[in-house]
Amino acid sequence: MKLKDLIAPFSVWKRATEKPYTAMKPLSERPGADRYRGFHINDQEKCIGCGSCEAICQNGAIDMVEVAGVETTLTDSGLRPRIDYGRCCWCALCVDICTTDSLAMSNEYVWIDEDPEVFRFIAGAEGKPWDNSEKGYRRSGGYSLLDPERVPMILEDPKKGVTSFIEMVKGYSADAARQEARRCVDCGLCIASCPAHMDIPDYIRAIRDDDLEEAVKILYRTNPMPATCGRICTRNCESACAIGVKGDPVAIRWLKRYIIDAVDPSDITAALGKEFSDSGKTVAVIGAGPGGLSCAYYLARMGHHVTVFESSKKAGGMIRYGVPEYRMPYDRLDDEIAHITEQGVTITYGVTIGVDKSLDELAASFDAVFISTGLPDASSLRLTGEDLPGVLSGVEFLERVARGETITLGRTVAVIGGGNVAIDAARTARRFGAETTIYYRRREEDMPADWEEIHDAKLEGVEIITQSIPIQLEKAARGKTGLVWGRARMEDQGPGKRPRPVLIVGETYTAEVDTVISAIGQTADLSYIAESKTASVGIDGNKVLADYHGRTENVKIFAGGDVVNSIGDAIAAIADGYRAARSIDAYVLTGKGKT
Amino acid sequence: MEQINELKARYSISDSRDQRPDLGFITVDPGRLAALLAELQQVRGYTHLSFITAVDYPETGTFQLTYMVHNFESAHSLGVRTVISRDTALMESVHHLWKQAKTYQRELKEMYGIDFPGSPGVDDPFILEGWQGPPPMRRDFDTRAYSEKTYFPRPGRKTSDPRRHMQSRLYPDYTPFEEET
Repeated sequence: MKLKDLIAPFSVWKRATEKPYTAMKPLSERPGADRYRGFHINDQEKCIGCGSCEAICQNGAIDMVEVAGVETTLTDSGLRPRIDYGRCCWCALCVDICTTDSLAMSNEYVWIDEDPEVFRFIAGAEGKPWDNSEKGYRRSGGYSLLDPERVPMILEDPKKGVTSFIEMVKGYSADAARQEARRCVDCGLCIASCPAHMDIPDYIRAIRDDDLEEAVKILYRTNPMPATCGRICTRNCESACAIGVKGDPVAIRWLKRYIIDAVDPSDITAALGKEFSDSGKTVAVIGAGPGGLSCAYYLARMGHHVTVFESSKKAGGMIRYGVPEYRMPYDRLDDEIAHITEQGVTITYGVTIGVDKSLDELAASFDAVFISTGLPDASSLRLTGEDLPGVLSGVEFLERVARGETITLGRTVAVIGGGNVAIDAARTARRFGAETTIYYRRREEDMPADWEEIHDAKLEGVEIITQSIPIQLEKAARGKTGLVWGRARMEDQGPGKRPRPVLIVGETYTAEVDTVISAIGQTADLSYIAESKTASVGIDGNKVLADYHGRTENVKIFAGGDVVNSIGDAIAAIADGYRAARSIDAYVLTGKGKT
Repeated sequence: MEQINELKARYSISDSRDQRPDLGFITVDPGRLAALLAELQQVRGYTHLSFITAVDYPETGTFQLTYMVHNFESAHSLGVRTVISRDTALMESVHHLWKQAKTYQRELKEMYGIDFPGSPGVDDPFILEGWQGPPPMRRDFDTRAYSEKTYFPRPGRKTSDPRRHMQSRLYPDYTPFEEET
């Protein structure tokens, strides 16, 4: 035996003070790997309750439930996912599909309890120890179950478009529409934002399934003017779209337009059918704008005899006389109105209530009356010089263009305002060859006009001067009009409030232009209502007072559209007309107002 | 891969490719697989079995099995593949070559329903204690249907559809027009 062999057993003792490489049992801590799929966490503030996690879960482990302190709003269902760990298989598809990236998984996986019921909880809302865990599974980059990018819309070349009134937005092809439709997660958050609560996910699904007949039926359930809304709707739905949280919202408006453009008008009639019972009741509708037409359409389909009184020569109201033809081609509007009159609706043109016929007469000769006369007159700028010959209003200008009148604008035009009428007037003025500038009091992001309209106007060469407050209008040399305006600074009004423009003293300019167009809002002359003797209806300024169901203080008289609601767009008027039709139906059949 | 070329004819290897300098794949008939693996282990230095795995192809009615073996001397891994019928789902066991093969085979039996007759404990549960459904890794396994059938709804489970919930909260008085037909 060698000496080395004798010492060897003792030499290992020199390692006695070192940290062992082996793990000791029993294990006291078992940390999950950094990207381990452990218990879920959910950022309650970021989550919008779209339910995509529930929809994708292959085990039915997720319920969408109410959570104390989370309000239901137009962009948040108020529901949050509750996970049943008796079913969860930790696959993390729910994290991968999450439209807001609020849902994730911690790397915690050890939790022992004798009560099985505790293994079902609302992730992120019940104060679990792992709620703020930085570790665990997050959706990895490089792939996405959601498609954040909208299928691009083909637009007419602005240089060519500005020389005529051809339609600028070309619409989706069938392939493009189906591709865009596939981006929808079918959550239905958008429905609440639509005044007509159109079943958006259902008609998008019908596009995916290529079932346009079904799609048409869904559209007409609450909206008899889909070709109009498919073009010019203010599309609040898109602001609520869950896909819009991380990407472009689904192009809901263009998808609606695709449906109605892809079917022949005769197919619409075939899809909807035309057989309905005759109630023998008569209803007068005042005004053939979207509100009146909508009310008339549904009343007719409920079996009532409807007569619409329209002061102009054609129907459509502001859609025809306020929206330029490059946005809403007249033939498409004509098709839409033709479908409504096909239901048995009679439109009497050139009759002005209050002039040719009184409201009292209508109330006496019909079973019910629906008032939807809109806001046809321009609001006053309340500035000196507003009555100068070179000054006209946006609504008047657009109406005269729609009537085909010859208008001389001159070489330079100033438009005052920031809404859709201002943009419509400016883009129309460009089509008359005028150099056009919009003057708006606030910043561009504050403009009430549709962002796509603002974008397209700029492409067409419309200049926008923001934070500019008009001070007065004056006569200038060579027959021009001087628009005196001052620069504004934005004054913060506190959180959640729109900053207010305040004139900067001493910084004023004068723009000398051939024509000034004012487009700062609209109003109505309701003297025809005020003057009625028997058919009394409550009014407040330029508004008729009516409730959610269109009921006025007079049981026989209903009202809706811009003359009632504070939204003032086509879809709100259409929704008003629809709800009023239901109320009128209930009233004429029972003699009682809807309760 | 020179070695592989020698084996090609004898074992009728149908496909071979190098994925990396240290990783290759070959495909062989199921009937020749055990013999090929024996030669790789005993003559060619592929002494280690790293794992056995399967891929389900319902489209072609087959399972593709992969036996990953490793040669420590050349630091080369070789994936030996074979394709078997999905209907019979039967494969010769290789536990006589590598003892640990029985564990992989037991797992494949449980997850894919592929049987390896004679493999010790092949029918014992692997991780799915008390499993009564079809093998869950088969691609036609309907997770949802299995869950609904097996894990009956626990009392207290209740869900809300976001759109209905929003309607009840934000516009309860609105009903879309459904014509009577």
